[in-house]
Amino acid sequence: MNKNLSHPNPEADATPQSVIETCSLSRVYPMGSIEVHALREASLHVDQGEFMALMGSSGSGKSTLLHLLGCLDEPTSGSYILEGRRVEGLSRDQRAQVRNERIGFVFQTFNLLARVSALENVTLPLLYRGRQEKVRERALVALERMGLDQRAAHKPMELSGGEQQRVAIARAIVTNPAIILADEPTGNLDSRIGEEIMQLLVQLNQEGSTILMVTHDQKIAAYAHRTLQMEDGKILDGDAAQ
Amino acid sequence: MTLFNTIKTALLGLSANKLRSGLTTLGIIIGVASVIVMLALGNGAKAAVEASFKFLGADTVSINRKQVFDDNEYQAVGEILSYVDGLHMANEVDLVKRVQMNVGGSGKIRYRRNVLDMSVAGVTADILEVLVLNGDVQPLGWPTDTPLTQDAFLAAGRFFTPAEVLAEADVCVLGSETAHDLFEGDSPIGETVWVNRQRCLVIGIMAELEATNPDEKYSLSPNDAFYMPISTAINMLFDEQPSVYITARISDQNRMDEAKVQIATYLRERHMIDKDSEGNYQDDFDLTTLQDVIGAEQEAANTFSLLLIAMATVSLIVGGIGIMNVMLVSVTERTREIGVRLAVGARGRDVIGQFLLEAVILSALGGFLGIAVGIITIPLAPRFNEVSAVLDPGSIPLAFSIALLVGVVFGLYPAARAARLAPVEALRYE
Repeated sequence: MNKNLSHPNPEADATPQSVIETCSLSRVYPMGSIEVHALREASLHVDQGEFMALMGSSGSGKSTLLHLLGCLDEPTSGSYILEGRRVEGLSRDQRAQVRNERIGFVFQTFNLLARVSALENVTLPLLYRGRQEKVRERALVALERMGLDQRAAHKPMELSGGEQQRVAIARAIVTNPAIILADEPTGNLDSRIGEEIMQLLVQLNQEGSTILMVTHDQKIAAYAHRTLQMEDGKILDGDAAQ
Repeated sequence: MTLFNTIKTALLGLSANKLRSGLTTLGIIIGVASVIVMLALGNGAKAAVEASFKFLGADTVSINRKQVFDDNEYQAVGEILSYVDGLHMANEVDLVKRVQMNVGGSGKIRYRRNVLDMSVAGVTADILEVLVLNGDVQPLGWPTDTPLTQDAFLAAGRFFTPAEVLAEADVCVLGSETAHDLFEGDSPIGETVWVNRQRCLVIGIMAELEATNPDEKYSLSPNDAFYMPISTAINMLFDEQPSVYITARISDQNRMDEAKVQIATYLRERHMIDKDSEGNYQDDFDLTTLQDVIGAEQEAANTFSLLLIAMATVSLIVGGIGIMNVMLVSVTERTREIGVRLAVGARGRDVIGQFLLEAVILSALGGFLGIAVGIITIPLAPRFNEVSAVLDPGSIPLAFSIALLVGVVFGLYPAARAARLAPVEALRYE
């Protein structure tokens, strides 16, 4: 799982390399006549191989930050460098390509397509690529890593919540992304299953994956190496990594 | 995304709502069927024109007594078209080469104890030529690829001559069935039959005839016939001069309009028709050429086609809006799915492709069914209107392309709307 072979950072000379670097990232939503500052000048640094948790109550801006980091949304101001490449200001389709190739998402509600099998859900990111080679094989490998190769033909309805989240994680890792962004990955699961999912994420991290996880649960955050607290759209602890 | 995967995805999307998808295609079905029938009518009009060409010939003017629709029925106006009108036409009218005339009457035909009440045809001597030209009857068992000959229409004896027509000769030619009914197997040639108590010499027997078109087998009875010179028939069957049907053959096909003017001038003179106060002639005759028939035929087809064009346009627009509506509903219902697809890297064109293809598959389905409905409807068209419809093979790809076009045009907006969704909001959509 040595990704820096395939995606070398041209500026990197020291280890660990930084995967994410943001500077004063802000997001303002116009709501009628008032402006909502969902994120205020967030500066953040995530190194390769890190497992970081982002904590905060609802409305603290953690989801907004995650969406910006995942290129699902665009910052109002500030800069965002992903693997040494400026990401803010990219076109819609360019951001789609960044999401497709460099980011893996794990959602609280799994967000699997209901009418296709687990395997087809995992192949989905690969289908939105120009070159499509060994799509099924790669998807099967990802499912196997999640221990679900026997359930590949099942539809999400036929799987338990934990299994569905494992399919979602398989979909996130099938593209070998630079970072896995997990949004309350255990929020819809009971604590025992949640623990299993966390073990899988820890294992992926040990195998080299960089993970950034949003949670409001202290116990879940404890699996991470580093925890950042957010409140009112600000990162409280600051980013000591600078 | 590859085309195969896009198609697979689109079909999957549609299969989730089979009934809704099916109903949506109804407008397209009607629209496409209208297009098929419309073009079939145009094609049918062309075929009808070709058929009239065969019957009327390009060099004939058909002359009938004028009839007007009054008091819920057709009523003849003015003077009759008389035998004498026709008789002098060839000599008096420059462009008229030859004149054929016929009149229909009924008479009591007797030979010994056998009596038949039947219709009698008073004709000019060239009736065999007319039969060959018309081609709607032929000698029994005549091979289809062989041209008809006049001799083949006669079984025995001869037909009467122009001189006999002029001389009002008391001669007749019998249809095969008439001959059999009257003579019961005896040879009729040279025998005398009585027509309304007047003697008439049998000089010829027609061959047994059948309808050329098997569909008309029972509507035509060519063997139940009795032919006399038109002059003789008028004498024997009518108390006063009847109106006759005249067909004038014109010497120059390129001067048909001129010929019509000449014939009209000739008949106006004979019938003493002057201009009325408004400067128009109140003619008591109708002149019809092939061109007139073609015009009328096309006019009928055009009127019907116009109606169908309107229907097709309205149906296709309604069908297109139906597709747009169902696709908009589908996009809304599947906002979350679109969000997921965007999150894993679907670009704008991937999403547009997916939803556009769904719309096109819907319209293509409507196109297929519409073509089937159209083909089934074509044979029914003549029953509602006096026009014939013949399937135009070229109309199938055309109608199908129109259906596809409707799918693209009306599918574009919903697809573009899906592709424009903000990923964050689409993912949050409940």
